[in-house]
Amino acid sequence: MNYMPGTASLIEDIDKKHLVLLRDGRTLIGFLRSIDQFANLVLHQTVERIHVGKKYGDIPRGIFVVRGENVVLLGEIDLEKESDTPLQQVSIEEILEEQRAEQQTKLEAEKLKVQALQDRGLSIPRADTLDEY
Amino acid sequence: MAKLSRTDSHSPGVGVATATQAAVYLPEADSALSPEETAMEQVCQPEEMKRLQGTHLNQSPGKSYDPLALKEVLVCASQLEEEEQNEEEREEEVDPDLAPDLEEEEEQEEEEEENDLGDPAVLSAVRNIQKGLLSSPGIKAPGVLGMSPASLHFLWQTLDYLAPLPFRPAFPSTSTAAPHFGPRLPSPDPSVLCSPSTSWPLRLSHLTQLHPQHQRILKQQQQHGRPPSPPAKKPWSQQPDPYANLMTRKEKDWVVKVQMVQLQSENPRLDDYYYQEYYQKLEKKQADEELLGRRSRFESFKLVTPYIQKAEAYESVVRIEGSLGQVAVSTCFSPRRAIDAVPHGTQEQEAGAASSQRLQVLYRIEKLFLQLLEIEEGQKDGPAQPCEQQSSQLEKLFQALKTQEQNNLEEAADGFLQVLSVRKGKALVARLLPFLPRDRTVSLLLAITRHLPLLVKRDVADQALQTLFEPLGKCISHLTFHELLQGLQGLMLQPPGSSERPVTVVLQHQFGISLLYALLSHGEQLISLDSSLEEPNSDHTAWTDMVVLTAWEIAQMPTASLAEPLAFPSNLLPLFCHHVDKQLVQQLEARME
Repeated sequence: MNYMPGTASLIEDIDKKHLVLLRDGRTLIGFLRSIDQFANLVLHQTVERIHVGKKYGDIPRGIFVVRGENVVLLGEIDLEKESDTPLQQVSIEEILEEQRAEQQTKLEAEKLKVQALQDRGLSIPRADTLDEY
Repeated sequence: MAKLSRTDSHSPGVGVATATQAAVYLPEADSALSPEETAMEQVCQPEEMKRLQGTHLNQSPGKSYDPLALKEVLVCASQLEEEEQNEEEREEEVDPDLAPDLEEEEEQEEEEEENDLGDPAVLSAVRNIQKGLLSSPGIKAPGVLGMSPASLHFLWQTLDYLAPLPFRPAFPSTSTAAPHFGPRLPSPDPSVLCSPSTSWPLRLSHLTQLHPQHQRILKQQQQHGRPPSPPAKKPWSQQPDPYANLMTRKEKDWVVKVQMVQLQSENPRLDDYYYQEYYQKLEKKQADEELLGRRSRFESFKLVTPYIQKAEAYESVVRIEGSLGQVAVSTCFSPRRAIDAVPHGTQEQEAGAASSQRLQVLYRIEKLFLQLLEIEEGQKDGPAQPCEQQSSQLEKLFQALKTQEQNNLEEAADGFLQVLSVRKGKALVARLLPFLPRDRTVSLLLAITRHLPLLVKRDVADQALQTLFEPLGKCISHLTFHELLQGLQGLMLQPPGSSERPVTVVLQHQFGISLLYALLSHGEQLISLDSSLEEPNSDHTAWTDMVVLTAWEIAQMPTASLAEPLAFPSNLLPLFCHHVDKQLVQQLEARME
């Protein structure tokens, strides 16, 4: 069968470990098991990885079916280099807590910004259709 | 659970780690085997690590090695260069079920080692292992297992989601260099064959588009003699992975087919012009290279799309007579056509409105260009085939260009001139000239020459007339003397109400002067060749007058405003010498040098 030589094709990535970034900001890591023409993905032994600063935490999720349009990008993970990271893994509870704290600070900063703009008579409408992160 | 973390040493219940966050994949965490652990307590030295590498599955009676053992080896080999001091504990375990598979893998690894082992670090590691084996008392590290980093990395990746099993040291076996096995058979696995770049050195097809950084890294890898580590591209890749090939080959083919169907077309030269052209150039370049002796050229893969009969063309827009607008029809093959971009019915002629005039001219040029492209296409497919169809096409094109449907000669010329006033029109004529028969080209040339001053004036912005020079030059050589005179005489006539001759303007423009020189040169050639016309002839006198006039005009013009001709014919000066006095010749020489 004449595959498209050299061009990007997810066929070659099947059964390999991938990192998938979704439009809502989530990072999934799993083995790519199946695809279709829309680039919908089936991820096996998936882990959702949350990063906060230098720490990260993994939440095991099992099998994911991701609709293709929600994928921002995905890339193969080089297993030998995977452990080669300066990041520190922490427990799930800790990372969720860190994430919550980060969201909090972000919201507060945002609030301050909006307030400052309003004081000056400007308002920026919230772009609800943009991707979330 | 088996886990290798570089940062901790002696973490309890830790065996070989997976590169991944094994906490997730291997949920049987902390299956610490205390008896093994204690046994391994002794083994907490860097050397031990290397020794343990050398576990040879084949030879251990009753015990064979777990894939995790190999994983360990992977870790060790890859980290040998990096970390001398690694105080991790190792645990090895027996997994009789997987033994036969692993033996096979090992063999293949070994043969790969034979083939690929270039890394001196690994070689030295192997030797160390051998030494270590002989010297170590309590360690059952039987054989030498030298593996190139590539195979190790590969194993790592494929084995790491296996259930972790604690390790146990194996019995020693004879340590010899791995016997050489036969060449690896290529796997029928499509994931292996899907890219021509699986072999090393990395063969990048012309379609591979890597990020420049990626490309740099690959080049560096090649330079350092390390084969790029292609995970899961080895023939045995799928065996230890129990979840592999969930997507069957048929399904993969189906997806590819769906994507290919979207690309297929009946006329790829038209639909996919740029890729076809690029591929042709590439092939030509490779053919040339091969001719020069570079045997190492490799076939570039051309993307071939399957030809699938499309549903017959349908009218996507239905016009109901008498109604306003259109009813759109769409099927799954073609989406709805939203607007009608092609104008139906007649348009009002707005003669005189400048903008619409210009639009008309542009529109005409586009239509002519399409016809020209068809002719060129036909030429490319069957060169030197002046068939009936082509000549009729050419004639049609010529008629359209010269607009000879009009009775008024002036208007006809006007249409042609309008086309020539546009840059694209000039390109059109330039590309058309090689195809036309002689008499047609002559008529075009004469028309151009007759209206040269006007064209030159209009060309100041574009400067595109130069493209016409080459095809016209070829055509000039076919001119007869009489035709030549006809063309040139127009330039000499002083129009009423103007003090200067048209030729003056012509001389100031590059194309104009080049064309003039070419014509004069050709005339001179004709005269010198045609020795039969010795007696004075009306044509001759006209010619002489014209030459004198031209010489005078050139001499008159200040050198600065005289344009630089594209080609300077060598017989011009002698021509002028014949007909003009010395003083003038000197002036001419000064200007024309």
